[in-house]
Formats: sequence, C-alpha cells, structure tokens
Amino acid sequence: MTNDQRTSTELLHGTLDTLVLKTLTAGRRHGYGIARAIEDATDGVVEIEEGSLYPALYRMERKGWVEAEWGHSELGRRAKFYRLTPKGRRQLTAQSADWARFAAAISRVLITP
Amino acid sequence: MNPFNRVFWRPRVTDEVDEELAFHAEMRARELIAGGMDPADARREAQRRLDGLGRTRRSLHALGADRNQHMARMQYAGELRQDIVFTLRQLVKNPGFAAIAILTLALGIGATTAIFSAVYAVVLQPLPLRDPSRLLLVGEIWEGRPQVMSVGNYVDTNAAVPDFDNGLAAVNYANYNLADETAPERVVGARVTFNYFDVMGVRPMLGRTFSADEDRPGNDQVVVLSHRLWTRRFGSVASALGRPLRMNGVTYEIVGVMPEWFDLSIDSEELWTPIAFTDAQRAMHDEHYLAVYGRLKPGVSRQQAQGRLDAVAARLRHDFPKDDETVSFGMVPFVEQFVGDVRPRLLTLLAAVSLVLLIACGNVANLLLARGAVRAREIAVRTALGAGRGRIVRQLLTESVVLALAAAVAGLVLAREFLTALMAWSPSNVPRLEQAHIDPIALGFAMAIALASSILCGLAPALRASRRDLHSGLRDGGRGSTGGLRDRLRGTLIVAEVALSLLLLVGAGLLIRSAIALQRTDTGFEPQGVLSARLTLPVTSFTEPAHIVETLRRIDEAAAAVPGVASAAISSYAAMGGGGGTNGLVPEGREPVAANFINSTLRVITPSFFGTMGVRIVRGRNFNEDDRVGGQRVMIVSARLAAVAFPGQDPIGKRISCCEPGPGGFKTIIGVAADIRSRGPAIAPRPEFYLPIAQVPDVAWNWNRTMYVLVRTTGNPSALVQPLNAAVARIDRDLPLFDVKTMDERLARSLATSRFNTLLLTLLGAIGLALAASGIYGVIAYFVSQRTQEIGVRMALGATASSVVRLVLGQALRPVATGAVLGVAVALGASRVLSSQLFGVSPTDPLTIAAVLATLIGVAMLASIVPARRAAAIDPTRALQSE
Repeated sequence: MTNDQRTSTELLHGTLDTLVLKTLTAGRRHGYGIARAIEDATDGVVEIEEGSLYPALYRMERKGWVEAEWGHSELGRRAKFYRLTPKGRRQLTAQSADWARFAAAISRVLITP
Repeated sequence: MNPFNRVFWRPRVTDEVDEELAFHAEMRARELIAGGMDPADARREAQRRLDGLGRTRRSLHALGADRNQHMARMQYAGELRQDIVFTLRQLVKNPGFAAIAILTLALGIGATTAIFSAVYAVVLQPLPLRDPSRLLLVGEIWEGRPQVMSVGNYVDTNAAVPDFDNGLAAVNYANYNLADETAPERVVGARVTFNYFDVMGVRPMLGRTFSADEDRPGNDQVVVLSHRLWTRRFGSVASALGRPLRMNGVTYEIVGVMPEWFDLSIDSEELWTPIAFTDAQRAMHDEHYLAVYGRLKPGVSRQQAQGRLDAVAARLRHDFPKDDETVSFGMVPFVEQFVGDVRPRLLTLLAAVSLVLLIACGNVANLLLARGAVRAREIAVRTALGAGRGRIVRQLLTESVVLALAAAVAGLVLAREFLTALMAWSPSNVPRLEQAHIDPIALGFAMAIALASSILCGLAPALRASRRDLHSGLRDGGRGSTGGLRDRLRGTLIVAEVALSLLLLVGAGLLIRSAIALQRTDTGFEPQGVLSARLTLPVTSFTEPAHIVETLRRIDEAAAAVPGVASAAISSYAAMGGGGGTNGLVPEGREPVAANFINSTLRVITPSFFGTMGVRIVRGRNFNEDDRVGGQRVMIVSARLAAVAFPGQDPIGKRISCCEPGPGGFKTIIGVAADIRSRGPAIAPRPEFYLPIAQVPDVAWNWNRTMYVLVRTTGNPSALVQPLNAAVARIDRDLPLFDVKTMDERLARSLATSRFNTLLLTLLGAIGLALAASGIYGVIAYFVSQRTQEIGVRMALGATASSVVRLVLGQALRPVATGAVLGVAVALGASRVLSSQLFGVSPTDPLTIAAVLATLIGVAMLASIVPARRAAAIDPTRALQSE
C-alpha cells in the first residue's frame, strides 16, 4: 500500500484544512513545518502525509485562504512558505466553531450514561 | 500553454511541485537521522516515500495549473475593474470631454445603425422563401434585361425545359374590384398558373391552392387570399373558406389563405386566381405580359438551364419569325428583381454614413490625443511605478471602450429616432422598408462598430501616450513636449476628416444639383390644378365596345359639369402612374417586320385631353367631333415619334399602321403633340401616340379597360375628389374610382426616391462638415494653448496681432488644404457610383466641386479664426510668466 492511499481517509473530511489554517495563525510555515506542527501538537496521534497535505494547500491557495511565497528555510534551503490571508482567518473562525459544535454533540452522545 | 499563465511571472508548476516535495522528503530524512537512523538508510527511506507519491504529484500538477489560471484571471479581472473604475472617475471629473466624445460617437453610431437597419431589412435580410437563391425570374430579354413573356413563349418554354422544379410558373398582375356586402374595394391581385405556389415554395396556411383542373377556362372561379386581405376583409376567421367573393363582377369561391410571411412587401399582391389560358392564348406569341418564375432543380446549374433556354429561343425564332424574330431568354434571381434598383441607392447611403462614423472617430481620436497629452504626467508616474507599456495601453483602451459602449447606448436611442424619421420620409416604393427595426442584429451591429471605432479612435492615442519618454513627462509635466510626431498625427486626422467630409459634400452637392435640374425640367404637361383618378370597366358588365365608349363619354361630360372644373378628359394613360401599354408601329412604306417596329406608348383619349393636361399641339390639329367611326382614321403622334418615324419630313398626312392587322390598321397623322416625360422628369421621353376614343379598334378593350378621368381646375384640385366620385357614381355606382391623386402628387411621387436620397446625403454631409469643423477647431485651439509661450515671445519680439493670426491660420489651413486635395482626387474617382442617380450633371461637375471646396475652406477658416483671435489676444508678459 502506498502513502497516498492510506492517508486519505484518516482525517475527518475538512478537519485537515482547519488544522492547517490553525497552525498558520502563528506565522508563515512551509509544508513540512505545517505537518510537524500538527504532529507535535497532537503528540503524534495525527500523522500528516504529503499526499493529503499538499493537495489541501494547493486547493486553499486557489480559494484564497492561504498565500504562498518562496523563501529560505531555517537551514538556508529554498522552500515554499504559506501564510494565512484575512479570508483564511475568517474561514478558520467559522470552521473552529463548527468543529466545537460537532465535538460537543458527539461528546454528549458518548458520555451520556 | 494557457495565455493567462504568461500574464505574470511564476515558476513552472512541475518545478514548483518537485521542489516542494523534495524539500519535504529532505526534512523527513533529517528527522529520521536526528532520531538515530543511519544517514544512508534515512535518505533511502525518504527517497522511497518520495517515489510513492506519483499520484499526488500528478494531482498537484493539475491543482497547481488550475490555481495559477484562476489567480491570473482574478488579477486580470481586478485590473479591468480598476481600469473601469478609474475611467469612470476620469469621465466624471471631465464631464465636458465625456459628453462631447460620447455624443460625437453616438451620432455616428446612431446614424450608421439606422441606415444599416434599413439596408438590412430591404437588401440583406433573406426573403422568407425556401432556398431563394434557386428561385429565378425567367424572361424574354428586352432592353438588356429579362422581362415579361408572351403566353405562347411561356407555354413552349415550359414544355421544353425540364430544369425547373414543378416547371415554370406564370403570373399576370391584375387589379380587381371587390364588391360584396362590405364596401367596394380595389386590390392588386395576380392570375397565376396552378404550380405558382409550389414554385415559390409556399403552402397555404388554411385550405388549399389550385388544382391543375381549375387552371382551365370555365373552372377558374376560385381564389386564394393573402393573409393581409383575409385579416382586413374577413377578420381572420377560418370560416372565410368556401365563402363567395365577387371580383370584377364574377363570383369566386375562397379556397385558401396564404401564411403571413408570404406578404413579401407592403404593396405585394393580395389575392390569386388561376390564370386559365385559353387555347387561343396558348398559341399567341405576341403580347408580352407574363412574369415567369422557375426554381432550378438541385444539381442543375444556371448555365445548363440557360443552354436549354437558348435552344428553345432558337426554335421559337424559326417557328414564329413574325412575333419572335429577335426573341432570347435570360434569368435573374428573384431577390434581385424584387429589391430592384433600391439596392445601389441604399448601399451608397451606407457608405456615406460610414464616412460620417469615420469622421466622428477622427474627432474622438483627436480628443483622446489631447487628453493623452494632458495626462502625460499621470502616465509617466504610473510608468515610473512599474506599470508596463502593455498595461498603460490596456488602461487607455479600456477608456475608449467604455466611451464607445456609452456611445453605443446613446447611439441606439438616436438610431431608433433616425429610423423612425427615415421610414416616415422615405418614398413608399422601397420594398420591405416597413419591416426595418432596431433588432438584435442592429444591436450587434452597433456594438461591433462601437468596439471597432473605440479601437480605431483609441489605439493610436494610446500607443502614442505609452511611448512618451518617462523623464520628459515627469520633468515638464507634459507641457512643452509637443513632439513633431504627435503634431503629425493630429494633422493626419484633420487631413482625413477634411477629405472624408469633402467626399460626402461632393456627393450631396451632385444630388442637389440633380434635384434642381429635375425641378427645372419641362415635363411637357402642366400638372398644377389637375386631379386624376382611375376606373376599370369589368368584362362582365361591359361586353359591347359601343357601350364602353358611350359610358366613358357620359363620365367625361359628368366630370366636366362638376362645379369648379375647367375641363375634363378621359385617357387610357396619364403620366407618372400605372397603365400605359405600348404597341409596335410601322410607318407606311416599310416592311411590317419586327426590326421596323417602333415601340410607342398608346393613349386612347377624348379630344379634351391636351387642354386638360396642358400638352401643346405643336403642329397640325387636335381631334374633334368629326373623328368618329366611319370617318378618316386619324392619330396624333408625339414629337419624338415623328422624329423617329419620319426623320426630316413633315409627318402631317403621313400614315402609320398600328394596333390591328390589314389595311384598316393605317391611320393618318393629323397632329404632332409636344413630348411628355411620362415616366418621370428624369427619364427621356419615348415615342408616344394618341387615338381618339371614338375610333378605337374593338381589340383595344381586350388590352386595357382601366381608364383615367382627368379634371383641371383653377382652384385646389384636391377639393374635387368628393364631387368627382359622386358624379361618376351617378353614371354607374359599380365603377369605383381608385388611385385618386393630383398630378402634382404623381410628379412628387416619381421624384420621391431621389428627393429622399438627396435629403439624406445632404444631412449626412452637413453632419460630416460640422464634425470636421469641430475637429479642426479642437486641434487649432490645442495648438494655441500649447504655443502660448512661443506666441508670447514672438509678440514680445514685435510680432503684430495679424501676423499671429496668420501664423495660426496657416497652421490650420495646411492640413485642410492637403485634405481638400486628397478629397477632390478621391471624389473624382468615387462620384461615378452616383452616376445612375444623377440628372443633368456630370459626376465630376467642376461647379459642384468648386462650391464644396469653397464651403469647406470657409468653414475651416471659421473654425480656426476663434482660436487664432485668442492667440492674437495673448498678453506677452503673462504668457512668459506662466511657467
């Protein structure tokens, strides 16, 4: 099995976008940096594969949620950095709220004796 | 590659994806090494992961390309919006400029669209017939064109030429008196062979057409109605089918109604009956009156059909040497024959109006040039801020497109007004003009010319403005940088505008001279005070020639007795109206063969005709009461006929054979009448002759039963309409008068088309001249404003006011003179297209050209004198301080 196929169903639909946007609130990052930030923040529970990360980034770039620019990484290597746009920030707010409502609802179902 | 990708710089998508994924893999490898893995193993592991990303890579390529395209489009749209907003803001800031530019263009677009709509409706719009290009008029060649045929020739040709679908169809247009419970009415109808509707390619909307059986004498009392007549007279009810209709005293049964689209024009025929040739008619090869139509079979070329027609003609010439001695056949497309000579006139107008549009464009280009100069500083700033030349040109073009679209909207409003006026003023004989309207096609046309003109107007100024060098623009604020190049461009525009308006004015001038010449032409009769009306004596109620003559004599007397009538007459033909058959005359002593026939127009008249119409008898005597049956058979000839028949001799007492065979055919000439321009003042008189009504051979009543009643009064002839109607009704209440018009009206009508064209071209010439004048004014005013300092220096150095005026006028007149010379050169060649519309003036008439030149240069002087005077009034001290 290749990486592409395994990762595609691992995250709830749309959640990856929200996570990516969230990691960008701290400032611009390249793709690898975004993946690491999510993995670190979830203590490795969520693993981000290239096969889902980059298509998500490209789509969000087209939608105008993120902007990309070429720059130099901390090690001096040329890398493509992504930054949150105002439109992306609004999107993040909306999606976080959605997620909170969804998670609360699921919790009520699971925790109710 | 997608064009949008080129618009702004980006790395190629494939490189971008590869580099991004490679970076990711490398960072992963570092991570593994940091976690304690052997570097070589870590690199291999990272490479393995990278290799497994084939599908991701491909989808990223697609996503990246899509993203780039989208973003380029967004950028383009954003810039366009910026440009439009910027333009609108500029226009609001300069309302004077905006209004003048938009109105100038709107005038050009409006006029062009209106004329185009008319041309489209009359000429370009396809006839609603099926495959109209294969539908032909087939006719005997007469005066170089295929025209009408004799019945015998039609029957023989139809039998011998198999190249037409459903054969050839013959039509004889005829007038009908309709009489039933509703008011009597006079309509134009057509007697047609039963295959006519199949040949035309039309099916009835209701009922049926004729069967071959009904196209025989005795079976032919069936009628098909046009949609128009059915609506007007029968209220569009289906139950009209089967109803009887009394026409010319005979009862017909209504069997069908044609669809609305078959009303091809406002004056096309309104009903059809079978033509039902008798055997005698089928054998008759003389008497040419049938319009014959045929639809070429698929796969048959016109050459093939023409070949067969030529063979038939050769046989007819052999078989009927007397009637068909010179017969030959030709074909023209039905459409051409239908539209007729209106086509070149309308196309001339379209050309003229395009010239006006070009002049309007020239003016707007001038305005934009002037604005470009004023805005040099702004453009220099934008360039300095990084806008490329393409971007600047695009912005300036956006401005002219916005102007042009605004002008198109205003132009459409104007076009509707123009078209309404055009239709109101135009002569009634322009087929299909009533169908002209501002429709989607006209709208598309307006938009197309608006865009074309915006690019025409805007491109040169935009390129010029974008080419300015940056530093001079910033340094002097666009003030002193009147490069020679731009002045040359402005000069060129003036040259072009002057040349174009000269062309227009020469055309208008020639038509005006023609109109004056037509007005002065002696028509040979005195139309003032004459009222004319027509009536038809139906075959059914007037069988005896003696009865006809007696009735007409009584009508003549009754008309003469109407109070206010000075004299009255009956004639088979007046002038500038319907009727007027011709006969082949043979002077005594010549062989009676076709080559010796002199085709002459016949008038059967009462003796009072010459007095009533005001036609002079130039030699001999008029008819009198003694010229009756049994007396010497007499005729009066026109001066033209006398000259052709008996050149250099006294025609009085000579004899001419006409109208009936044998020795009785000879008539003695007793008088010569002045020539009448019967077909209109522009058409040279043809040979004509007159027979007294009392001596008319009986056969003449088979040719024509429609007569004119003419009355002359010293008062207003229109006031006689009612009394004359009443007087005729007292003699026979079933003889409705129709086509009642004063002779002045008939004369005006015959001139209506040329008057209309003259009026329009004059109007277009005036608009063109006004636009050119405002263009010259604009350029000279600009010149003066740019040279204020220089003029100030000159005046400080002692130049007089008059020398300054001379300087400015000289500046103006140089391009005007060049344009005038150019215009005259073009006009000398181009005015020939008008020659068919000219009368009594040559297309290169020097007087017209001189008058136009004087007008144009005079107007140019007037347009430049105002800025010249302003220049002369410059105060040198203030001019020098102003910078």
